[in-house]
Amino acid sequence: MLLLTCPNCGDRNVSEFHFGGELSSRPKDPSALSNAEWANYLYMRNNVMDAQTEWWHHNAGCGLWFLAERHTRTNEVIKTYPYAKRDA
Amino acid sequence: MRTEQDALTTAPNRLHPKQGEVIDRSTTIRFTFDGVEYTAYPGDTVASALTAAGVKVLSRSFKYHRPRGVLCCSGHCPNCLVQIGDEPNVRACTRPVEEGMDVHAQNVWPSLNRDLLSLTQLGSRFMPVGFYYKTFIRPQKLWPLYEHTLRHIAGLGEVNLDTPPGEFDKQYLHTDVVVVGGGPAGLSAALSTAEAGAQVLLFDENPDLGGHLRFTVPLESTSTTSRSEDPDESGHASKELPELLEAINQQPNITVFADTSVLGWYQDNWLCAVKGTRLFKIRTKSMVVATGAYEMPLIFDNNDLPGVMLGSAVQRLVHLFGVLPGRQVVIVTANEDGWDVAADLQSLGVNVAAIVEEREPNACSSPYQDGLVNAGVPVFYRHTILEALGSNAVSGAKIARLDGGGEISPSTAQSLQCDLIVTSVGWTPATELAYMTGGKSEYNEDRAEILPVSTPPGIYVAGRAAGTHAVDSQIAEAQQAGSNAAAFAGFGELDEPAAQPSGVLEPRRTSERVCVPGKKKRFVCYCEDVTDEDVETAIAEGYDSIELLKRYSTISMGPCQGAMCSMNTIHLCARANGWTVQETGTTTARPPTTPVTLGALAGQNMEPVQTTPLHQWHLDQGADMMVAGLWLRPNHYGDPAAEALGVRNRVGLIDVSPLGKLQLTGPGVPELLERIYINQWDNLRVGRVRYGVMCNDEGVVLNDGVCAHLRDDTWYMTTTSTGATTIFEWLQWWLQSGWGEGVHLTDLTDIYSAFNLAGPQSRAVLEKLTDRNLANKAFPYMRIRSARIADVPCRLLRLGFTGELSYEVHCPSGYALHVWETLMDAGREFGIVPFGVEAQRILRLEKAHLIVGQDTDAMSDPLSANMAWAVKLDKPDFLGKPSLMRISAEGPKQLLVGFKMVESDVVPDEGLQIVQPEADGGLKIIGWVTSSRFSPTLKEAIGLCWLPADLASQNGAPFTIRMDKHLAEARVHHGAFYDPDGERLRT
Amino acid sequence: MSIQLIRQAFNGNRPPPKMWRSHELKEQYDVVIIGGGAHGLACAYYLAKEHGITDVAVLEKSYIGAGGSGRNTAIIRSNYLTPEGVRFYNDSVKLYEQLSDELNFNVMFSQRGHLTLAHTDGGVNTMRRRAEVNQIEDVDSRLIFPDEIKSLCPSLDVSDHPRYPILAALYHPPGGIIRHDAVVWGYAHQADVRGVHIHQNTEVTGLKVQDGKVTGVETSRGHIKTGTVLNATAGWASTITAMVGIDLPLTTIPLQACVTEPLKPFLDVVVVSGSLHVYISQTDRGELVMGASVDPFSSYSMAGSLTFLEGIAGHVLELFPSLSHVRILRQWAGICEMPPDYSPIMGFTPINGFLIDVGWGTYGFKASPIAGKTLAELIATSKTPTLIAPFRLSRFEENDLVGEKGAAAVGH
Repeated sequence: MLLLTCPNCGDRNVSEFHFGGELSSRPKDPSALSNAEWANYLYMRNNVMDAQTEWWHHNAGCGLWFLAERHTRTNEVIKTYPYAKRDA
Repeated sequence: MRTEQDALTTAPNRLHPKQGEVIDRSTTIRFTFDGVEYTAYPGDTVASALTAAGVKVLSRSFKYHRPRGVLCCSGHCPNCLVQIGDEPNVRACTRPVEEGMDVHAQNVWPSLNRDLLSLTQLGSRFMPVGFYYKTFIRPQKLWPLYEHTLRHIAGLGEVNLDTPPGEFDKQYLHTDVVVVGGGPAGLSAALSTAEAGAQVLLFDENPDLGGHLRFTVPLESTSTTSRSEDPDESGHASKELPELLEAINQQPNITVFADTSVLGWYQDNWLCAVKGTRLFKIRTKSMVVATGAYEMPLIFDNNDLPGVMLGSAVQRLVHLFGVLPGRQVVIVTANEDGWDVAADLQSLGVNVAAIVEEREPNACSSPYQDGLVNAGVPVFYRHTILEALGSNAVSGAKIARLDGGGEISPSTAQSLQCDLIVTSVGWTPATELAYMTGGKSEYNEDRAEILPVSTPPGIYVAGRAAGTHAVDSQIAEAQQAGSNAAAFAGFGELDEPAAQPSGVLEPRRTSERVCVPGKKKRFVCYCEDVTDEDVETAIAEGYDSIELLKRYSTISMGPCQGAMCSMNTIHLCARANGWTVQETGTTTARPPTTPVTLGALAGQNMEPVQTTPLHQWHLDQGADMMVAGLWLRPNHYGDPAAEALGVRNRVGLIDVSPLGKLQLTGPGVPELLERIYINQWDNLRVGRVRYGVMCNDEGVVLNDGVCAHLRDDTWYMTTTSTGATTIFEWLQWWLQSGWGEGVHLTDLTDIYSAFNLAGPQSRAVLEKLTDRNLANKAFPYMRIRSARIADVPCRLLRLGFTGELSYEVHCPSGYALHVWETLMDAGREFGIVPFGVEAQRILRLEKAHLIVGQDTDAMSDPLSANMAWAVKLDKPDFLGKPSLMRISAEGPKQLLVGFKMVESDVVPDEGLQIVQPEADGGLKIIGWVTSSRFSPTLKEAIGLCWLPADLASQNGAPFTIRMDKHLAEARVHHGAFYDPDGERLRT
Repeated sequence: MSIQLIRQAFNGNRPPPKMWRSHELKEQYDVVIIGGGAHGLACAYYLAKEHGITDVAVLEKSYIGAGGSGRNTAIIRSNYLTPEGVRFYNDSVKLYEQLSDELNFNVMFSQRGHLTLAHTDGGVNTMRRRAEVNQIEDVDSRLIFPDEIKSLCPSLDVSDHPRYPILAALYHPPGGIIRHDAVVWGYAHQADVRGVHIHQNTEVTGLKVQDGKVTGVETSRGHIKTGTVLNATAGWASTITAMVGIDLPLTTIPLQACVTEPLKPFLDVVVVSGSLHVYISQTDRGELVMGASVDPFSSYSMAGSLTFLEGIAGHVLELFPSLSHVRILRQWAGICEMPPDYSPIMGFTPINGFLIDVGWGTYGFKASPIAGKTLAELIATSKTPTLIAPFRLSRFEENDLVGEKGAAAVGH
């Protein structure tokens, strides 16, 4: 089982976490977007077969939502770190 | 009590006692095989006991129902699969006999020795590999009949549907280093790892440690045919084993798990092992794979005949169980291991009829070569076997000379009498675990073995698994692997690079001549009855890559999972394609390495269930409990309609503890509420409660509930029961990803229990229990108040899901039963009834209140779901706003709306479709019923449904519901069915 | 007994006919299909057979059927939730019913019946909703209750004591299982016979686009000129589509399965439980094939997990308590790409000549014949067939999603 390093709690089995999808951020001013741009935000994904920055939630632990950089072909976790607004 | 003499008379193949044997001859046990009683010693396996008794046929093959007997004696081949009681597909060669065991042959009709299904062989010319793809095509109508027959011919063991669930459990283990394999390499690796200070878990699938040292070192005497009666003289000669075992015993850092199979490696060194009914889940820092090797069968005519055995199988039978599987033996070999077997058997007085050696005399380097030749054992150099002779068991062997080019000289063929053919022609490293970790392999032409050439950091391979056969080399290599594994785990220095494989310098143990051509059936795959001709045919048809070949021929997909056939198949595939073995490649190693029971994987039944503090009370009242998400809730207490009427007319109490309960504190809460709810919040004053709806950005309704402004900086929110966890996580995400400034969120779902006291008498009940002024003016509808109820501090919310005057009482869960019982007592004089989920559903439907998840689904938006009144599109921004703006502009296509049936006693089931007849006589679906009940208050059928927007917007418009056998009329109904103005809530 | 087998039986040393041949890569093809799975090969076959378009290359980076086609649990059914879904899959089932005959290759379609269990009253309602939609669309499907469930499947525990009591089931008699590899091989063979070039071990490394129109394909074996490319690489579709700069609404997630040792037949129907995330059937060879819902996080890895094995074992025993001694032989994983509305994405893209057949989630194999046939028609006529119009890529921008997501989390 994959180990994830929670920035608060350290190495834990991935079964303690919920996956939150690849990192994307809600547009700052949604009202300025066209329908196509809004649909793009809602639905389109990079879905890379490569290193991916993504959300994880330590739901069976401290409750932190944090970011991980994980390779989606090997599942190797390159790093995990707390979210800061600049990451979006 | 039976004596040893009894056992010997019924077990003619039992040898005299020897050192190193695992059986206990002081007593005997009895078991039956196909109804016949046999005796065994404690320590015997089913197969060793049957072999001792002279039983040769243990099973029938999968496709042709050919007789099969012991082949590998190590639990890796399919030939001894039997049914033991309720348990199908048991490997008889590794399952210890137990008193009274009821063993049966599988897949035979009518019996093991006369299996009429073996007649299928007569048609085998018409049943080449993949025959079923080419036949039974036309007429298609007959295919189900053919299929029925095929299914009943296939399959192995039987499931007894009355099998009790059994008891299984699991254990977690954490360690520095795992060593898999308890042979000389594994033992040495464990020792050097432990000496470096690391904690080691040592696993071996056998009941005793020692690996091949327990049975491969020949008995001392090779020159005499007399049996020694003294175990000390004919005993085991391994000098290394006792020392290694003693050292393991002395080493406190090593924990041994014998009889335990490591099933698989998973990401981040997460291992799974099984011992009987217990599953181990192991997290380790590093691992040494010392899993040994599988001995490879040789492919020749009738090579599956009972009495054809691998050399290591014979050695196991002889040394571990004191069983001699034959009296007159032909040994077919291409390495020193075959000579070891010959020396062993000869020393036991067995007639070694011939040693059939592929190599020239001077290419052999067995220390027993001279002794055996001098003792008069006939040796046929540059010979190989052509065919096993006999019908149900071996009665002879046909052998022939190899010419200069290595081809068979047919003219030199001769037959030898024998009752046992032993093949020792090569080894396949058992490297599945190493390859699961991502290890890479290469074909080593010098060794004729596919060997691991690289492994990920922290994974080390040693011993036969790495291609190292000589015990001295195994020990040296394993010591290095062990100290590297310790160093990787943080104990000592890493010794780089770990040379792999070190076995390169040894003489070759494996022949590349894996198949001897002939005229009869030659099995590559015993599990699926696939022959070398089948392999050639499949490749010629285009299934040329090893993966396609596997899928088409089903080679390696049976119970042995390729242990017996993979390497031979790769050789055959390479040859047929004109590729090298390296080019041919291997198939992917997948867990489990050994088949594992569903019971062991499942462990104890751990399906979680959540109960409220009142669970026992509900049960005591005879509640019919229902599953709601993880919760068990009272559906009703006998008569839901009466419960509903009790609420309407008097007062009722329902346990709504599963509601999600969240507390939000801080100056940022109002802004957060504006963003996460679709309705307006900034004007909610302290003490007030508001209904709220949450959407995601797609505009899909996620959840509904209420939120109360409890104090200046504190809000108290409820969510649906089944959505509680999701919404908590969802809010945490928005809070932590940018909207969390000045907000603190606490989940109180389990801290507080909640009951809804509903009905016209609810105020009267509550007034008995609190000093708080409950007058309508002091505590109006949609307000929250703190109050002591029965001396317990509670939060009271005046809500109206049921449509009646009602108070939701939230109290600390520890006092829940006390508060509930006090409320029930206080209500008795008013005729209080406990009510369940079903009554609540009736009551809310009478009010046309929707339930998120029942009346809406994963695509429903609030504008369509009759919640347009709540959507405040003029708020600056909130989740879902842009999507809802668009839906609002384009207009909803479907609307959720109430309906009444024209025939007022016909209740359409939930899920029925609303249809429009079409010109062609068909029906067009235009909507569906989401909720429906017979209203006990109104005495008529009511419901909610989805309809096209134009139809739904006309109050009273008729439409058609497709019932089971007819079409029923219904009419759109706007607003609540009961008390449409909501007066009862507000009084 | 087929003529083919009789010939094979008496042909001595002559090799049997090749199912498909190897070819040099040509410089140019009329149509290039990326992905040698059941979808790509079916499309190639229907292009050749029904539209006379035979200058077609199917490019497969590994061996044919190496992806989802050979990794799914081979369940065929048409009891979907939305009318558009039901119609589409019903046409697929009808094609499957004729497929052995059409391909002259027994794909062993076993229409033994399909049971989807409901464990809650909400589940019962969803099953009834599906049954009703199915019946109106002329698909044999109905809600049945424990007594009938027990008679169809005696090994199920229909008592009221399990954690997930079986309240009802959606019974779909035409549903069943098939030999998935045979579908791949049969289509490959008949496409080959008609002149299609199947190139195994040929990986696409790039796509050439000029002025908004596709002009060629770069492969590990060289360049191909073409004006029509179909991306039929479900699972990996995002990686191919990214080569022309288009994002798709997809997340790739592993889906795992496992198989037991062979047993004598005792399970005659396919059993699915959405609440327990499990589906199980017994193959003609006697093995139990079992699968679960998609993994908890996105990945292109096909390694498989112990968590899956433990979970599925527990859930299977919840339904079939007598199977505790049955042994798992092998586990594996495939990868699925999940679209937001659990419905495929088929047809045109903003790049002229670049077509997609993607977003096949957990329901792709059962659509192979109809997907291949309709896309072949689209390629041949440049018009989107009505049957697949709901599945166009532009639906996301148009906010016109397909409602299949309402059905259940597990859709096998």
